[in-house]
Amino acid sequence: MARTPSLSRRDWLRLASAGVIGTSMSGWLDVLAADAAKHPQRKRSCILLWMNGGPSQTDTFDLKPGHANAGEFKPITTNVPGLQISEHLPKIAKFGDRMAIVRSMSTKEGDHSRATFLMRTGYLPQGPIQYPSIGAHVAHELGSDDAALPNAVAIAPYTVFAPGGYGPGFLGPKYAPLIVGDTSNQFQAGGQVDYDQSLKVKDLAPPKEVSDAHADARIDLLKDMEKDFVARHPDVSPQSHLTAYDRAIRLMRTDAAKAFNVEDEKGEVRDRYGRNLFGQGCLLARRLVERGVPFVEVTLGGLNGGGLGWDTHADNFNQVKRLSEVLDPAWAALMTDLKERGLLDTTLIVWMGEFGRTPKLEGNGRNHFPNAWTTVLAGGGIKGGQAYGKTSADGMSVEENAVSVPTFIATVCAALGIDSTKQNQSNVGRPIRIADVGAKPIKEVLA
Amino acid sequence: MRCARLWLVGLGVLAVVVAPPPARAGDPAPASPGKQSPALSAEKLAERIDALIEAKWREKDIRPSPLADDGEFLRRLSLDVGGRIPAVMDARQFFGDKSPEKRRKAVDKLLDSPLYSTHFAAVWRSLMVPDNNNPFLQGNGPQLEAWLKNRLRENTHYDKMVREVLTAPVVLDRQAMAGRTSVEPTPLPFYQAQEMKPENLAAATSRLFLGVKLECAQCHNHPFAKWKRDQFWEYAAFFAGIQTPPGQAGFVTATNDAADKREIKISGTDKVVQARFLDRGEPKWQDKVSTRQTLADWVTSVDNPYFARAAANRLWAHFFGLGLVEPVDEESEDNRPSHPELLDELARQFVLHDFDMKYLIRAITYSKAYQRSSVAESADVPDPRLFSRMSIKGLTAEQLYDSIVEATRYKEPGQIANARGFVTPGGARAEFVSRFSNHSDKRTEFQTSILQALALMNGQFVSDATSTDIAKSETLAGIIDAPWMKTPEKVEALYLAALSRKPRAAELERLVKYVDRGGPSGDKDKALADVFWVLLNSSEFILNH
Repeated sequence: MARTPSLSRRDWLRLASAGVIGTSMSGWLDVLAADAAKHPQRKRSCILLWMNGGPSQTDTFDLKPGHANAGEFKPITTNVPGLQISEHLPKIAKFGDRMAIVRSMSTKEGDHSRATFLMRTGYLPQGPIQYPSIGAHVAHELGSDDAALPNAVAIAPYTVFAPGGYGPGFLGPKYAPLIVGDTSNQFQAGGQVDYDQSLKVKDLAPPKEVSDAHADARIDLLKDMEKDFVARHPDVSPQSHLTAYDRAIRLMRTDAAKAFNVEDEKGEVRDRYGRNLFGQGCLLARRLVERGVPFVEVTLGGLNGGGLGWDTHADNFNQVKRLSEVLDPAWAALMTDLKERGLLDTTLIVWMGEFGRTPKLEGNGRNHFPNAWTTVLAGGGIKGGQAYGKTSADGMSVEENAVSVPTFIATVCAALGIDSTKQNQSNVGRPIRIADVGAKPIKEVLA
Repeated sequence: MRCARLWLVGLGVLAVVVAPPPARAGDPAPASPGKQSPALSAEKLAERIDALIEAKWREKDIRPSPLADDGEFLRRLSLDVGGRIPAVMDARQFFGDKSPEKRRKAVDKLLDSPLYSTHFAAVWRSLMVPDNNNPFLQGNGPQLEAWLKNRLRENTHYDKMVREVLTAPVVLDRQAMAGRTSVEPTPLPFYQAQEMKPENLAAATSRLFLGVKLECAQCHNHPFAKWKRDQFWEYAAFFAGIQTPPGQAGFVTATNDAADKREIKISGTDKVVQARFLDRGEPKWQDKVSTRQTLADWVTSVDNPYFARAAANRLWAHFFGLGLVEPVDEESEDNRPSHPELLDELARQFVLHDFDMKYLIRAITYSKAYQRSSVAESADVPDPRLFSRMSIKGLTAEQLYDSIVEATRYKEPGQIANARGFVTPGGARAEFVSRFSNHSDKRTEFQTSILQALALMNGQFVSDATSTDIAKSETLAGIIDAPWMKTPEKVEALYLAALSRKPRAAELERLVKYVDRGGPSGDKDKALADVFWVLLNSSEFILNH
């Protein structure tokens, strides 16, 4: 029942030296990234745009013009004739040809907690089984043990309702996403967040009182201690401790952490993404994908961090419009930049929330609605320019090609070149597949 | 002749009628722990543990690791029983003690200290209400822990505690609470964590208290074990009286508790089933005895084949990192105990001693098996289920924090003295705990994450705790300032504080040289701070070995 074995024993000396010398790494990573982008065997990446609270499909990607349930927004046509989305998403509408809009998502979970967990792990919470989140699976399948950057990064996640849906579960802490911009403590969407600072990795630098020379000396001494201990205790834990420190040090010492310096980008670029947490988060996601990180997710909850922005039980149209105005430029900028860098074909972008909202208005809001809702798959591995599945004229039910969560997960995996039937040993001794038994990817949306 | 034969046949019939139903395949061993053997003292049970463990080694021709040395033992014991590393004073005292029973005395001392109840309250709480990162439950976790701590402090026996959990009032009497500034803690958070739903309560209580994982059987017949869907719901029916308003997450309170309700509709169907015990026994309903009380009577009964066994296994797993049945909550045909006779005996003795947890803990920690060193003789690690070598366990976030505070004598800013035991939201301890919460069940495969590594290396907390500023933390500052201590003694003092042992000759030589030349900058104080930092960031510190 062995876990995936830790990487080969690293030569500490070599690493410590690399850290001490340091400067030889500068510039190298950019070159490597550029090469990687052109390489035909380049591994894929996934960017998940997580819409916290459950975005209304009727006001974003599955409009019902002319029907009583239509609401206040008008549809506009994307760059693909016949494919229409909300008028408040004009920039992303120019990428209709790269999108597969899945309008037939159908689940039974209308509770934030359970639905979030279900969408993010592919399973319902079941007793003690620690299901890994999709990000952890991608990190596990596509990540590299040698990379200086972590294999999964979560930007501004709102983990409150389903912390289990953000973790590595039984795959182990090695696949835990690195979290930046954690806004879980902010329930209300109010309060400006200093996004420049919050998008940095916490604790990346030693405290000011510790000079570089001392910091290096400490690592050397620690290396000696660890060698002794590991020799006398050849178990998983000490080795993983070494590994984690090793990766943390690489993050500290190499230029890898510079990926998080969003302020290095030109002002004009930052403006294009939008000067808010989500926009800058998407910019950071691009930078990370450029450097080979296989999984990055950015959460759009409140308007500037935190909260259940899309959970529009009240004031639906104003809220959705404001959120769309944040979502649209950021997502479009992301698609543009990735395309420009030749990365769009190898980067899958997933847009989703935990459920949709009632097509029928209740007061001036829409309530939770898992019965028929929309997710969007775009970019690498996806055959764009289409809407998959159909809802009824009133939007209340799915008419064609209902998509369950396992099917959706299987499709995401297929687009990334991952075998979703692969089993991993769980923490209760039972092997568990990435996507639940029987799940088959949707062929029609795959390139 | 015919009469005799008839008489014999009659006897045979009688025997068939009287005998208990034969155990089905997959049942845990004897139908009831019974009162077959005499009660053994903790010392005698410890000997029995060793005899049974050692028998298996002989069978497999295994040479066990030697016994742990004093430092290894005391640290392990302090973490397992008290939730933190030993205080330096206690370590020095222990090393200086020359009496042969000193290890047992150390066990007794810890069991009598308030550290035991604080730590085990945290242990049981995390089993009962696992996810600490949920802020809704963060508010309630401390209440559950407070209730546990109260009971453990009085050494309330396990069966009474479980009974209290199973029969806890779930409807908050707001009128009775009005105007009161403090309320007696109850096990209510356990119910809230299960959303007050009978099916969740069934699964949780069955797993925790009976060592039976029923979850799969909720929707269909269990794919591996023998549980059928109807059985699951018959058990859930015991909780059917708890009603919550529709749509509410049930975090706060139930609206009603129909104490006599004992049937439930299987979710998604129209079928109604009656409450029945897991072994399909029919409850003997009594007037004025509520449904949940009837359940509690059966669960905590000395004849219940699962109860004592599950508890004994969990306690074993706590101390050894893995249970005699592993995974602990899924004993089945495919998952049998590694030492069946031993588990039977532990269960039996637990019952005979009225479910006294301290008794069982004493017996386990008195044993030689518990004292095996975790050092491996070769890279070839033996099967951990033979217990010939102590497995390495991870520390919980609380243990890590409390150990760092103990080692550094860190002064937590603005903390109330008695708040140490709980996760006060927003405090330094709370922040640290949420960063270091390890969601993995397998304690013997604890893994450090990058964020944790960064927090330990560079984080504010560790940095303050290793500050040379005596206002922030005392250990380092004290050692640096002590004019009567030479470098070797200073290094030794740091080792004792952090690792509860003295440095080995080679370690001492290396570090004394480093400190005497003042590290890279010629500053001896900074060099000592470096050494302390290294000790606190080592695997040896962060693991329970």
